[in-house]
Amino acid sequence: MNKRILLLFLAALASLLASAQQRRTVTGTVYDFDGTPMTGVSIVVQGSQRGSISDENGKWSLEASTGETLEFWFLGYETIDRVLGEGDSAIEITMQVSANVLDDVVVVGYGAVKKSDLTGSVASVKMEAISDISATSVDGLLQGRAAGLQVINSSQDPGAGSTIRIRGNSSINGSNTPLVVVNGFPMGDAGALTQINTSDIESIEILKDASASAIYGSRGANGVILVTTKKADEGHTTATVKHQTVVSTLSAPVDIWYDPMLMAQVSNEEMANAGLNPVYIGQTIGGIYYPSLMEIQDGKWANTDWVDLCLRTPLTNSTTVSVNSANSRSSLNLNVNYFGDRGIYKKDDYDRLNLNIGYTYKILPSLLFSSYNVFSITSRNVCNGLEYGRNPLWPVYAEDGSYWKAGPTDFSHPLVALEDKMDKTSGRDYLLSGALDSEPLKGLKFHTQLDYRFKNSVQDIYYARTTSQEAFDNGGIAKVNMTRYQDVLSETYVTWDRTFGDHHLILMGGHSFDYEQNRGLYTTARGFVNDVLRNEDMNASDPALRQIYNDGYYVSKLLSFYGRANYSLKDRYLFTLTMRADGSTKFGKNNKWGFFPSGAFSWKMHKEPWLENATWLSELKWRASYGISGNQGINSYQTLDRYGSEKFYHDGKWTTVIGPGYEAARTGANDRYFVWGGIMNPDLKWETTAQADLGVDAAFFNSRLRFTADIYYKNTYNLLREKYLPLSSSYDKIWVNDGTVENKGFEITVDGDIISTRDWTFSAGVVFSANRNRVLHLGDAISSGLSTDERTGMLYEVTGPAISMFNQNASILAEGQPMNIFYGYRVDGIIQEGQNPGFIDSGALLDRPGELKYVDLDGDFAITSRDRCIIGDPNPDFTASLNLRASWKNLSLSVFLYGVFGADVLYNGYTYSPRVKAKRWTPDNPTNDFPSLNSIRQYYLSDYFIQDGSFLRVQNVNLSYEIPVGKKWLSAVRVYGNVDNLFTFSRFDGYDPEVGLDGIYWGGYPKFRKFTFGIDLQF
Amino acid sequence: MKRKTAITAAAAAILMAASCSLQETPYGFYSGDNFYRTEEDAESGLMYAYNALNYLEYLRGIWYVGDIPTDDMYPKSDEPGDIHMLENWTVNASTELTHYYYKYCYIGINRANIVIDKIGSSKLPEAVVSRVVGEAKFLRAWSYFNLVRTFGRCPVTLKPISSLEQTTSPLAKDIGEIYDIIIKDCTDASEMLLVSKSFGRVDKAAAQALLAKVYLTMASSKEYGVAGFREMDLDVDKTYALAAEQARHVVNDYPGVYGFDPDLRHIYDVYAPDGPEHIFIMSTDRSGTHEGMYTKIPLQFLPNNSSVPIFIKYPDGTLQQGNGNGWGVFLLNDDFVENAFLPTDKRRTELIHRSIYDQYGAEVTPSPVRGYFTSKYVDPDFIGERTSARPYLIRYSDIALVLAEAAGPAEGYPLVDAIRSRAGIAPLTPGLSLGDFRKAVLDERKRELAFEGNRLFDLRRTASVTKTVQEAGSMTEDEAAYYPIPQREVDLNPNVPSSQNNF
Repeated sequence: MNKRILLLFLAALASLLASAQQRRTVTGTVYDFDGTPMTGVSIVVQGSQRGSISDENGKWSLEASTGETLEFWFLGYETIDRVLGEGDSAIEITMQVSANVLDDVVVVGYGAVKKSDLTGSVASVKMEAISDISATSVDGLLQGRAAGLQVINSSQDPGAGSTIRIRGNSSINGSNTPLVVVNGFPMGDAGALTQINTSDIESIEILKDASASAIYGSRGANGVILVTTKKADEGHTTATVKHQTVVSTLSAPVDIWYDPMLMAQVSNEEMANAGLNPVYIGQTIGGIYYPSLMEIQDGKWANTDWVDLCLRTPLTNSTTVSVNSANSRSSLNLNVNYFGDRGIYKKDDYDRLNLNIGYTYKILPSLLFSSYNVFSITSRNVCNGLEYGRNPLWPVYAEDGSYWKAGPTDFSHPLVALEDKMDKTSGRDYLLSGALDSEPLKGLKFHTQLDYRFKNSVQDIYYARTTSQEAFDNGGIAKVNMTRYQDVLSETYVTWDRTFGDHHLILMGGHSFDYEQNRGLYTTARGFVNDVLRNEDMNASDPALRQIYNDGYYVSKLLSFYGRANYSLKDRYLFTLTMRADGSTKFGKNNKWGFFPSGAFSWKMHKEPWLENATWLSELKWRASYGISGNQGINSYQTLDRYGSEKFYHDGKWTTVIGPGYEAARTGANDRYFVWGGIMNPDLKWETTAQADLGVDAAFFNSRLRFTADIYYKNTYNLLREKYLPLSSSYDKIWVNDGTVENKGFEITVDGDIISTRDWTFSAGVVFSANRNRVLHLGDAISSGLSTDERTGMLYEVTGPAISMFNQNASILAEGQPMNIFYGYRVDGIIQEGQNPGFIDSGALLDRPGELKYVDLDGDFAITSRDRCIIGDPNPDFTASLNLRASWKNLSLSVFLYGVFGADVLYNGYTYSPRVKAKRWTPDNPTNDFPSLNSIRQYYLSDYFIQDGSFLRVQNVNLSYEIPVGKKWLSAVRVYGNVDNLFTFSRFDGYDPEVGLDGIYWGGYPKFRKFTFGIDLQF
Repeated sequence: MKRKTAITAAAAAILMAASCSLQETPYGFYSGDNFYRTEEDAESGLMYAYNALNYLEYLRGIWYVGDIPTDDMYPKSDEPGDIHMLENWTVNASTELTHYYYKYCYIGINRANIVIDKIGSSKLPEAVVSRVVGEAKFLRAWSYFNLVRTFGRCPVTLKPISSLEQTTSPLAKDIGEIYDIIIKDCTDASEMLLVSKSFGRVDKAAAQALLAKVYLTMASSKEYGVAGFREMDLDVDKTYALAAEQARHVVNDYPGVYGFDPDLRHIYDVYAPDGPEHIFIMSTDRSGTHEGMYTKIPLQFLPNNSSVPIFIKYPDGTLQQGNGNGWGVFLLNDDFVENAFLPTDKRRTELIHRSIYDQYGAEVTPSPVRGYFTSKYVDPDFIGERTSARPYLIRYSDIALVLAEAAGPAEGYPLVDAIRSRAGIAPLTPGLSLGDFRKAVLDERKRELAFEGNRLFDLRRTASVTKTVQEAGSMTEDEAAYYPIPQREVDLNPNVPSSQNNF
C-alpha cells in the first residue's frame, strides 16, 4: 500500500518536475486482461519522478523522451516495462494479473515486506474465505485457516469470544493468548476483537516464530495477530450493503427426561440401591407430592415440555453498510455494522453497533495523515442457565394461575428466573488513532502514530427474592458494576531502505510508550422492601447491607525501544535481526528492563544460478530463526508491598482497618480460606520464551502449487508462579519466576490452484499442525507445594476447576507431562455378579456388582489415592483442515473441513445424564458399560469419564452467486448461503467434543447447526 | 522538507518526554510507605491486628483446639474434613485445621509487630503511642500464648515481615524463650495501658489477666512436669504467687468495672457483650456483610430444623429464638453433660439442651436434635446466617478461678463459691488441702468454662490429657502436650527441622 501511495505521490509531482528537454507528450490506453479499460494504473518513467495514472477510460498521458522506460504498475498485476520507441505516441498496454502471490505484501510488526522476502514464520489469512461466516469476533473465524493457530469456539452464548493459541500453551499462571494488533495498535488478548467489522478488514497476519514476534518484546511470547483494515482505492467511490441472517438449530436432541415414567422408575431405583426410601411412591416430602408409578401411569400428571418454555430457535442478523471513496488527496472508508445475536435461551441477547471510519489526507506531497476510528456500542442481556431439565411431572402453573413451586425452597422455575432475574451489560469501546507518514528523503520514512482507546461497561444486576435462597434471605440482591479502561499509545519509527548493487539493506528503529489505566467500581445492595424497582434505586435498600465489593484502579506503563535490520545479498541470502527493549511498571524494581533479540536467516535457493532454469520451481526458500520474547501476563502491583483492609466493629460502628496482608485469592471448600499475598518481590520479571524455527517455502508451476512447512521448538522459562511461604511469615504466596515449559511441533500448509481457467476454477488447501507440550520443571517441590505420585515419584500440582461430581480438580501439571493432563483412577468395566473386583471396599461398598471396577494398581486390595495415575491428555495430537473452493463463472462453492485428533475429553456428569441413566446396569441388564444407579455414590475421577474427543467436522459449506447487474446505480449483487457445522464425525458421547483447552466437557446444550443467508449489494 | 522533519522530531520529542518513570506507585491501596502516619492510621492499624482474631480459621480454632479434642465436645459424625483428627487425637503435620490455626496466630503476630514497630517509633503523642503499642503488645502475647500452648516451641519474630529474606523466622531455642516474650509483652502492656473497659478491646486489666493465665500455665506445667517445663529453671510456688498477684489486681482492684455477673444467662446475652464479666471478647456484629464481620457460631452448635427458626425453652418457661438452619457440628459429650454437672447445676439446666421447640413452646417432633447442644452462643435476632454471637476470649470468672487456683484455699474459697452459688449449687467442701483445692478449682473450671475454648489447655498444663480423654488414651502425655508443627512450615522454613518433639 505504502509503495502505491508513494507512486501516486511521484506521479502527482511528475508534471512539476518535467523537463522540456527532448520530451514530448505520450498518451495511451491501459486495458485489463479481459479488454476493458483499466483505471488507476500508475505509469512512471523509470529513473525520473514523472508519472501518470490512467483515468476511467484507461487513458493516460505523460512527458517522456525516446529510449526512456515506462513502468506500468497495478497491485496484483504483473508490472510491465515498455521502452519508448521513436514513433510511439499512442501506446496500448494490456495488463495481466500477477500469478505470483509471492509478491503479495505481508504486514509484519512495524512495517511490511514482500511475502517472498519474509525470513520469519508468518501466516496470512485470506479474508474472502471467511467473510461470509457470521461471528462475534473475527478471530473466531480463523479456526483451521492457519497452521499453528488453535482456535476453540466452545461457547455458543451470544457475543461469546474464542480461545486462541499460537503453537501451544507456554504459561501456567500468565496469559497464553496472542497479542492482537490493529493497524499498529496493540489491543491486548486475542479472542474478543468485537469492535472491528469483518468486512472492514483487509488482511490478517499471524506472527508465529520469534523472528516475527520478538519485535513485540515482552508481549510477543504467545505470538501476535496483526489486523490491517481496508483503505479505499483511489478514484473510486463505492457503496456496499451486506446483510446476513443466521438461523441456528440444535444439531442433536437435548438430553433430558422425555418419559416421566422412566424418570420416576430410575429415581426409585437409584434411591433403593442407595438404601434410601424411594421418592415416587405417592408421598409428600418437604411439601412436595411425589406421585406413585401407578399414578404417573394413569396419565393424570403433567408432562411439561420445559425445553419449549426455555429455549427458542435463535436468529442472528448482521447488516453492514460501507462507503469507500478516494481521490488523489484523500480517502474515506466508512463501515457501519449492526449485529444482533440471539442465544438459545429466551431473552439471552447480544446487540452491537459498530462504526469504523478510516480516513487519509495528503497534507503535503510527502506527508500523509491517516486516521482510523472505531465506535462500538454493545448490549448484552444475560439470561442463560434456565432449567429446561426440570421435572416434567411438575406443572408450569398452580391452580391460582401463579407459577407452580415445588416447595418453599424451589427457586428453579425457569419462567420465574426468566422474569425476575436481570443481568444486563452495556459497553462502549472507542478507538481513536492518527498517524503521520513522511518521506523526507528517498528511502527514508518516518512514521508516527498516536492511539487512544476508551472502553467502558456498566452492568446492572438484580436477583429478586423469588430467584434464589440467598436472594430470598437478603431481600433481593442488586448490583451495579462499572469499569473504565483507557489506553494511550504513542509510537514513532524510522525506516531507511537502500540498495547498493547486490546489497539491499532496510533499517528500522523506533520507540513506543503505552499507558494503560483500569478503573472499576462494583457495588452491591440488599434488603429491598420489594422487588419492583430492581436495582434502579440502590438507596432503597437496607443501609447496613450496602457494599462496595470491589474498587479497583490499575495503571501500567510500558516504554519500549526497538529496531530491525534486514539485509539481503543478491536477493538470495536474507538476514533479519531484531531487538526490543521493554521497560514496564509491572516488573519488579530490580528488573525494570527486558531485552528481546532475535535473528533469522533465509536462503532463496531458487534464485541460485543452478536452479534458475528449473521453470517448474517458482520458489524454494529455506528459513531459520531464533529469538527471545517475553510474557508480562501479570497484573499491576504484584511486585509491591500491598496492604489489605477489613471492616471491624468497634464502639458501636464499623471502622475500616488496614495493615499488611492482602487477599490474593480464596481456597478450600466453598472458598472459605483466604490466600494471603501482598508481600513485595522487587525481583519479579517477565516470563521468557526462546524459540527456534526451521521452515521451508516452496512453490511450483508458476506458484499454482504452494507448500510451507515449519518445525519449531519453544522453551519458556522463568515462568511466573506463586511460591508458597512458611506459615510463620503470615503470608501464603509470593510471585516468583520459576519453572519451564516446552512446546515443539510442526506445521504444514499446502495450497493448490488445480484448475484455473476463465470460467472454471478449483483450488484446495490443507493446513496441518501438531504440537507437543511438556512441563519440564515446576520449581522445587517443597516451595511450590507440589504433590508426589507415590507409585512413580512424579511431582505434580493440582490445577483446573474443581469438579463437584468427583469432589476434586480434574487436571494436574506434572513434570515431564503435557499441561492439564487428567489424573485419577483406572476403570475396567463394571463389576458383574459373581465376579471378583480385585479389591475390597467395605465402607462405601464400591466392590459390589454394578459398580465401576476400579483397578487396584498398587495391589493392596483397596482403592486408595495410590491407585491414581495419568488417565488422559486433553491436548490434541494434531489438527488439520481442508479447504476446497470451486467456481464456475459467477457461481462458487466452498467446503471447509476441520478436524481435531487425539484429544481426550473429560465428560463431567456423564452418569447423571438421563440418556446414560436409562442404560444402567441391573442384574437383568449386565452391561459392562454403564454402572448401576445409586443416588449417593461418590464417583472417583476415573478414565471411565474420559472419552476420545477427536472429531472431523464439515465446518462450513458456502454457495454463492454473483449476479452481474452493471447498472449505473447498482454494479453487482451477490447472494450466498452458508451452513456451519453441517456434520460432525466423532465417537464422543456428548453433544460436541469441542471443549476448552482443559478438555472438560460441562454439558450445556447441543452445538448449533447454523444456516446463513446473505446478500451483498454494491452500488 | 525541513518543516516536516521538524514536526516529526518535535512530535517524537514530546512523546519521549511523556515516557516518564517506570517506578510503580501504589494507587488505591495502602502500603508501608503511606500508612501509620496519623493517630487515625495507628488506630486503624491496631484494629487490623484485632481483626486477625475474627477470621474463621482463628475463630473456630477456639473450639477446634480448645474443646473438640477434650472430653466435653465432639463433632457430628458426617462433618467433612479434618475435625475428626482432632477428636480422635490423630492430628498430624498435614491436618488442615491446625495448619490454619497456626497460620492465623502468625497473622495476628505480624499485624501486631508492624503496629509495635511503626507506631513505637513514630512521633505521635505519647498517650497515643502508649495505648496503641500497649494493646498491640497484648495481641502479640495473646497469639504467642495460643501458639506455645498448642504447638510448643515454634518460630519467633518480633519484627514485621515485608521481604522474601525475612520469611524464614528462627525457631525459639526453647519454650522458655517464648514465655519470656509473652511475659515481657504482657508486662509492658499492663504498664502502658490504663483501665478502660471497651467492648472488643483490651486494657490494663486484660493485660494483667493474660499475665495471670500465663504464670498459672507455667506454674502448673512445671508442677505436673509437662514436656518443655521439666528442664526449665522455674520455681513453682513463686510462679503461682506471680499468677496470684496479677489475678488479684483483676479480681479486686476494679470494682464496678470488672466483677461477677450475678445472672448466669446474662453473661451470654448478645446484647450485653460489655457486661461485668467482659475482659476480652471478640468484636463482631450481625450487621456485617461477610463472615468475620459477623459470626456463624450458633450454626456450629444449634441443630438443623430445616430452616425453621428454633426455640430453646429455659426452666422458667421462657423461650429464646435461634437459627433454624444450624449445622449442629459441635455436639456435647453425653457423658460429660450427665456426669460433670449436678442435676440442679444451672450451667447444666439453663445452658445445655436436648430438645427444641416451636414459637408456641411445643416440642418439635420428630426431633432433629442429634445430641446435647449449648445455648452459650445464641443470637435471637439473627439475620439469615448472620449473628452477633461472640466468644469470650477472657472473662472475669476465668481470672477469679485463676486466682483461686494460684493463691489457694484462703483466698480461693469465696471466689469458687461465688461461682457455684450463681450456678445454684452448694459451696465447695470446706477444709480442702492446697492440692485438693487446686483439683477442685480445675474441676470447677471444667464446668464454668465448658465450650469456651479452655479445656484442652487446662488438661495439658496438668498433664491429664491421656487419662481424661478416651481417644488419647494410648498416647503418652508428652505426645499429647503439643500438636506437630504444620508441614508447610517444616518444608519451607529451614530453621524448623522437624514438626515433632517441639519442646
